[in-house]
Amino acid sequence: MPEKSMSLIDLKEGQKGVIISVSGGYGVTQRLTDMGLTPGTEFEMLRKSRLCPVEISVRGCKLAIGCGVAAKILVKVKK
Amino acid sequence: MKNKITIALAGNANVGKSVIFNQLTGLHQHIGNWPGKTVERAEGTLHHGGYTIDVIDLPGIYSLSTFSMEELVSREYIAKEKPDVVINVIDATTLERNLFFTLQLLELERPMVIALNQMDLVKKSGISIDIERLQKFLGVPVVPVIATQGTGVHELVDESIKLAKKGYKKPKKIKYGKEIENEIEKLVKSLGKIELGYPKRFIAIKLLEGDEEIKKMIESIDPKIVKVGEKSAEKIECMHGHARPTILACERYKVANDIVKECVVFETTKVTLSDRLHEITIHGIWGYLILISLVVLLFYLIFNFGNFFSDILINEFMGMTPAFEKIFGMGVASKLVWGVIEGLVAGITIILPYILPFYIILGLLEDSGYLSRVAFLMDNFMHKIGLHGKAFIPLMLGYGCNVPACLGCRIMETQRERLIAIFVTTLIPCAAVTTVILGLVGKYIGLTWALLLYVVDLMIVFILSRIAFKVLPGEPTELIMEMNPYRIPHFKTVAKQAWFRIKDFIYIAFPLIIACSFLIKVLDVTNLSESIESLMKPITVDWLGLPLFSGIALIAGIPRKELTLITLATHGGTTNFAAILAPVQMIVFSLVTMLYIPCIATIAALVKEIGWKKALFITVFEIVFAIFVGGIAFRLLTI
Repeated sequence: MPEKSMSLIDLKEGQKGVIISVSGGYGVTQRLTDMGLTPGTEFEMLRKSRLCPVEISVRGCKLAIGCGVAAKILVKVKK
Repeated sequence: MKNKITIALAGNANVGKSVIFNQLTGLHQHIGNWPGKTVERAEGTLHHGGYTIDVIDLPGIYSLSTFSMEELVSREYIAKEKPDVVINVIDATTLERNLFFTLQLLELERPMVIALNQMDLVKKSGISIDIERLQKFLGVPVVPVIATQGTGVHELVDESIKLAKKGYKKPKKIKYGKEIENEIEKLVKSLGKIELGYPKRFIAIKLLEGDEEIKKMIESIDPKIVKVGEKSAEKIECMHGHARPTILACERYKVANDIVKECVVFETTKVTLSDRLHEITIHGIWGYLILISLVVLLFYLIFNFGNFFSDILINEFMGMTPAFEKIFGMGVASKLVWGVIEGLVAGITIILPYILPFYIILGLLEDSGYLSRVAFLMDNFMHKIGLHGKAFIPLMLGYGCNVPACLGCRIMETQRERLIAIFVTTLIPCAAVTTVILGLVGKYIGLTWALLLYVVDLMIVFILSRIAFKVLPGEPTELIMEMNPYRIPHFKTVAKQAWFRIKDFIYIAFPLIIACSFLIKVLDVTNLSESIESLMKPITVDWLGLPLFSGIALIAGIPRKELTLITLATHGGTTNFAAILAPVQMIVFSLVTMLYIPCIATIAALVKEIGWKKALFITVFEIVFAIFVGGIAFRLLTI
């Protein structure tokens, strides 16, 4: 059975996930993948509050991502 | 044998590129723009081992796609100008992400040396890197560097000279997955004899990625090839199940990841001081408290320093008056010369005490890594005015002085965002405007009304930036930002950069300030000011409800806005403004002063950043807008 996919923004603080895909315009997709958010990449949700953006850790870097973009990143939770 | 070499420094943002640039070039540098673009170009020379070496510091970027101007400029420079050597500066603590860019640089097929920077932090964070192995994988020399201490910088130059001496040799090709290599090969073949300056393999890869610039170039030569490229791209899209730009990024990251696995051992993960600082400064409560205190402290320091220093300069200058009059007399010519000197002094007393310190502090905050935390904290708020978190920084600076604020808008990635941010910052009341507001409204009507003016200004900023956001074409970008570990800023680099950046600005600003001051003196001497006042009467008296002599005061404020207040006093014949202005007039006058025109130094900054046309547009718009708002305010307040 395929695992349930969700938006990056739905992850809780401290949860780890794997990127499934990135959607959005050409520029945004390019930028996100350039920063290392390619499909299959593991990441950790470091900080999330009522206010945007979210902070994640990916490939040894800390990234801040605006909510609009984060909502377009499809992920699954890593157990 | 030629003994002139060109070296280009390339790498991600915040990897210590500019520190290396400064270690290399010292005071022999120039910071300007790339021709026709608002992308910074830093260039310097050094002499080493009998060679004269030209060093170009390319902008800090993450990729060679066309997401930003910086990326396009960098790749065009490397491919077309063909520097003898490219030094790729990489941050050893985040090797994987940095190697992603290295792999793209290698695709441009220039001789390359890698500067593996921040080796001191590598040890501290419990990482060990096998440099020999890394060298073998990449096929280029790797030099360990601690830029801030100058360690390894000499070796970098030595390696570069060695490479340049050898003559051009294609660097090793990094291979991607088999299916992709097949398509690349096919495309390279179909490119045949086409010459674009870029290596064929690079063009083929970019066609697969769907790069618009390259597609356009090929389209104009042979549209068939673009179609072949489309087909290949579709084929691998099908195989991988992901969109075009993703696939090659995936491949590159896979290679980067493999290299890291082979060359790097993560011994321990220690919580560093930087991690702790990060936690506090980004915290939902503490973060904001720290931000507010820092902003208050910053303004307090700069104003105190600025006022102190500016007063000294002005006093010195005023002390020269009698001597000047003795030499030149009191005639018309003397007054005109005096006008020029006044302009010069106005320029100096803005730039030295205010703009330079602001710029240095901004540089220190940026270099330390704090600005990215500020952008994080303010992102949500800035979204409300249609910009993202990074724009908060220039906006905040605007309250001090619009000039560094305008120049600081470069941190915005796209032209569109830069333009909106610049436009908005010119509407922020700077220190000089604050002097006018407090000196008129604050003193004679009360602080509540003064504060109200600031609130009105914020509302105007909000509305106008929303409109600009809607009207300007292009895709709005959201925050996607790396938050580098904190580090101690390298003061020498920051100070030098600030100075060389301002130098460029001075060339534009000074002639403008002086010309403006001279013209105002001409008006004074020729008694034209009265006719100008009456010319302006329909606006000043009829529409704004101000006294006749306010016209010349508003014009006098163009070089420096606090001059409006001074001229008001000299032409009104008293410093007791309550005797010459009604409360409503004070409010309208302050409001118009706040909005009506960016001061001449800001206009110079606008010209530098966005060109004559847009600068003129913003200036004219703001004059018309200020008059409009002032008239409305006058009518509302006198109901």
